[in-house]
Amino acid sequence: MNRYLLALLALCSSGLVLAATAEVQPHAPGIESADYIWNEMDSEKLLALRAKVNLGNGKVAFEVCQGCHRANALGREDGSYPRLAAQHDTVLIKQMSDIRAGRRDNPKMYPFVNEHVIEAQEIADIAGYLQSLPSPASNGKGPGADLETGKTIYEKRCVSCHEKNGSGSAEKLYPRVNGQHFAYLLRQNIDIRDGVRRNSNPKMVRVIRQYSDEELKAVADYMSRLPPPTVATAPAATKMQKAPAGAR
Amino acid sequence: MNCGRRPHLGPRREFAFATAFLGAVMALPAMASDVSTIATTVCFACHGENGNSITPIFPKIAGQQRVYITKQLKEFASGKRANDIMVPIIQGLSDTDMAGLGAWFSEQKAAPGKVEDGELAMVGKRLFHEGNVSTGVPACEGCHQADGEGNERYPRLAGQHQAYSVSQLNNFKNGTRANDRGKVMRAVAERLSEDEMKAVAEYIAGL
Repeated sequence: MNRYLLALLALCSSGLVLAATAEVQPHAPGIESADYIWNEMDSEKLLALRAKVNLGNGKVAFEVCQGCHRANALGREDGSYPRLAAQHDTVLIKQMSDIRAGRRDNPKMYPFVNEHVIEAQEIADIAGYLQSLPSPASNGKGPGADLETGKTIYEKRCVSCHEKNGSGSAEKLYPRVNGQHFAYLLRQNIDIRDGVRRNSNPKMVRVIRQYSDEELKAVADYMSRLPPPTVATAPAATKMQKAPAGAR
Repeated sequence: MNCGRRPHLGPRREFAFATAFLGAVMALPAMASDVSTIATTVCFACHGENGNSITPIFPKIAGQQRVYITKQLKEFASGKRANDIMVPIIQGLSDTDMAGLGAWFSEQKAAPGKVEDGELAMVGKRLFHEGNVSTGVPACEGCHQADGEGNERYPRLAGQHQAYSVSQLNNFKNGTRANDRGKVMRAVAERLSEDEMKAVAEYIAGL
């Protein structure tokens, strides 16, 4: 009897402790699981991709993010927080949804992006707002030591998706890489190669798998020097009336 | 006159109802129409003249965001924000009173706070504007604005008593205060050290 009581007490008190702490990120299957489908649609993502966007609401809802991603979503030059300004709204929606669902691990960010803080509509609003922001060429650059290698690899293996100028594709949900901080690009390169970024596109993993840290550093350096766009691109998410096709 | 099946109340109970009704009718407009009387006679005792508390453990609420004050009053009343002192005092306030008090205090001129340790404030300044990247503490300015004035969504912090700011950060950290939207402040406070709390509170006092 006493043991049951103790167990019950322990359960109750652990519940209380949990209630006192921040929201904990869930874990959903990702690239490590056999039946992983990149960019599989869930209702929340679809809702956000098809939502009518209010940029003013996006600016307000983004405030809870800017303590880290900084005002105007420029991120930090040291790459600790990525630049979000001028990123495709579709890409931002995918990443936010993936972090909310636990397909991309980010326990640090989760308490600020979960459904209790950001509503589904606000995902779309924030994404639209961020895409409309300018991305100046003030982003963090790499050491510039081996840009030739970086250029060679990038133009051979990366341009077919991320484009020659690093603009990616809003429709295909390939992220813009120009204007992004070098250190962040490098970290993602390595995390995608090593399966740490679990919502990666398997097509990209196949490409990036063969490269060493040094080569990835050279590519990230080269990408960080691609000129960011001078004018904001038109929002793509609201035009998506049907789900974008997931990669085979 | 047909009262159907309704039982007759009897003269005494009818009288009781009538006086209660009359009391309510008389009391409510008086309170609702003059929140300044409540503020200057009731709230005054702890929150000071016009909401500029001079006691470090009681928050300054002069110039505080209207929406925030009203939200706190409602949540003291509902128990969502636990507070043994506030709960009995605000019993009897209507929603209108709470909205009125929020508006009244938000319109009062805030007296500036006082930095007591300039060096500590400089440490806090960095945290307030830059956060702590290594522990994932967001910059306070992201939500509370660079001048600490807050906005409709986030409370004003500027000029607050150091002791009160530290107490609230601790309450968020240990979960005794749990009325933050989406547990955001609990997530932040969880990542703050005691030293960081003191430093940022010192800086906030001078805003």
